[in-house]
Amino acid sequence: MQLLTALAVLATEEGAESGGGLSLILPPTSELIAGIIAFLIVFWFVGRRAMPMINRTLEARQQAITGQLSEAEEAKREAESLLADYRAQLADAKTEGNRIIEEARASGEQLKADIVARAEEEAASTLAKARDEAQSEKSRALAEARREVGEISVGLAERIVGGSLDGKMQQDLIDRYLADLEKL
Amino acid sequence: MATSECDVVNEVICAPANVNELFEFPTIFTIGGLEFSRTHILMLLAAFVTVAILYYGLRGQRLVPTKFGAAVEGMVDFVKDGIARDVIGPEGTKYVPYLMAMFFFLLVGNLFEITPLINFPITSRMAIPAFLALTTYVIFMFLGFAKNNFRYLIDTAWPKTVPIGLRWLVGLIEVFSIFILRPITLAVRLFANMVAGHLMLTLLLTSGLIFVAAIPEIGVKGTIGVFWFGLGLFMFLLEILIGVLQAYIFTLLTAIYIESSIHFEH
Amino acid sequence: MEGNIESLVGALSLVGYGLGAIGPGIGIGIVAGNAITAMARQPEMQGTIRTTMFLGIALTEALALIGFVLFFIASAG
Repeated sequence: MQLLTALAVLATEEGAESGGGLSLILPPTSELIAGIIAFLIVFWFVGRRAMPMINRTLEARQQAITGQLSEAEEAKREAESLLADYRAQLADAKTEGNRIIEEARASGEQLKADIVARAEEEAASTLAKARDEAQSEKSRALAEARREVGEISVGLAERIVGGSLDGKMQQDLIDRYLADLEKL
Repeated sequence: MATSECDVVNEVICAPANVNELFEFPTIFTIGGLEFSRTHILMLLAAFVTVAILYYGLRGQRLVPTKFGAAVEGMVDFVKDGIARDVIGPEGTKYVPYLMAMFFFLLVGNLFEITPLINFPITSRMAIPAFLALTTYVIFMFLGFAKNNFRYLIDTAWPKTVPIGLRWLVGLIEVFSIFILRPITLAVRLFANMVAGHLMLTLLLTSGLIFVAAIPEIGVKGTIGVFWFGLGLFMFLLEILIGVLQAYIFTLLTAIYIESSIHFEH
Repeated sequence: MEGNIESLVGALSLVGYGLGAIGPGIGIGIVAGNAITAMARQPEMQGTIRTTMFLGIALTEALALIGFVLFFIASAG
């Protein structure tokens, strides 16, 4: 209550001495002038300086963001083309690999066939050689045997006959004999 | 408020003999019969502080602003987008400089109340609220009549959308409120808030200090000063909020009034 | 203060202002309360609601501010 009365007293006493409590609510001319000048300074600064500054900053920021976006777009496109390249290379490498494997397989197959063929051939030739050898051995042995049989026979016959036959006759005799023998 | 004037023995709070003591300072110099005091200097100081804040907050084309710059830019965007564009719409761009100058000037002026060594809200002198309210009044009156001719006045006084029985009453209230009350309340709202805030702060903090200092003289009664001082500190925090809010409301109402004149329909 | 008629006038104008502030006080409460309800119901309309709320508060507050001015006028006597 004391505060209230104090305030009331203030209002009235002030009214009594300065010709109206309105003096607080009605602005003195000098303050009006100072206030207007102060506001005009701020208004001038905002209109002439601050707004261009704000717009410039906004523009710069916008440009930076657009630049960054286009850069990012560029980088993305690059990365995509790179990826496509890699993909193509990978596919190439794959087909290459497949081809190599196929080739290797084919050549292996070829080699195998070759080896087998060669081995077979060799085997066949060895066999043939062996057979030839055996044949020749046989015929040689036969000829040997024939000759020896002839000699022995001749020897025998000489001993029996007591004389010797000349070579030519001897051989004829043997051949005849043998022919007879074969006819038997 | 001088300590000697305070009757700590009989009173419970120190009140100045004249409330104007808190708002009027002794004349420093006189130019052409006009007396200039600390108030006038503070007004100009407020203008320079506002300009300095805006300049240091916005200078350069920084892509990444500093902390201070970001704060100023936040407030600038708040006025530009939150007030001008949201309330007025696309036409609001034209009024952004006015609204922004108003908001920042009032913000600095209001916060002078709690700035150490200054401790005086220049908006608690009627000159600034009255001038700004008058400017706003001129702007929205001009817009109203420029865009709608005399339909602005006629349609306000005789609103067609209201039932005929109430039309004269609504019209009367509308005319009174738009043409007379708007500028007065706009100015008085800010003025009254700042006067009340400054009065409360000064009375509470000064009384608190005086009573605590007088404890050896008046004994236990002096502890009342602790209570006054605590309340004063609470008011101090509250005044920060009020200072910002009043600057916002003044600017917002200016925008609303301009908008109501641009998009006038009844 | 001792039977001073002027201080009585001052106190009475203060009481008058206090009485004048009751109505706007209630009114602003109603406006703000309903605005909060509206914002809670339709958060997407927040901007419009806030603007309308301040307009409503400004209109309601006018009475208290008239009271404030009248306090000065009346107490000036």
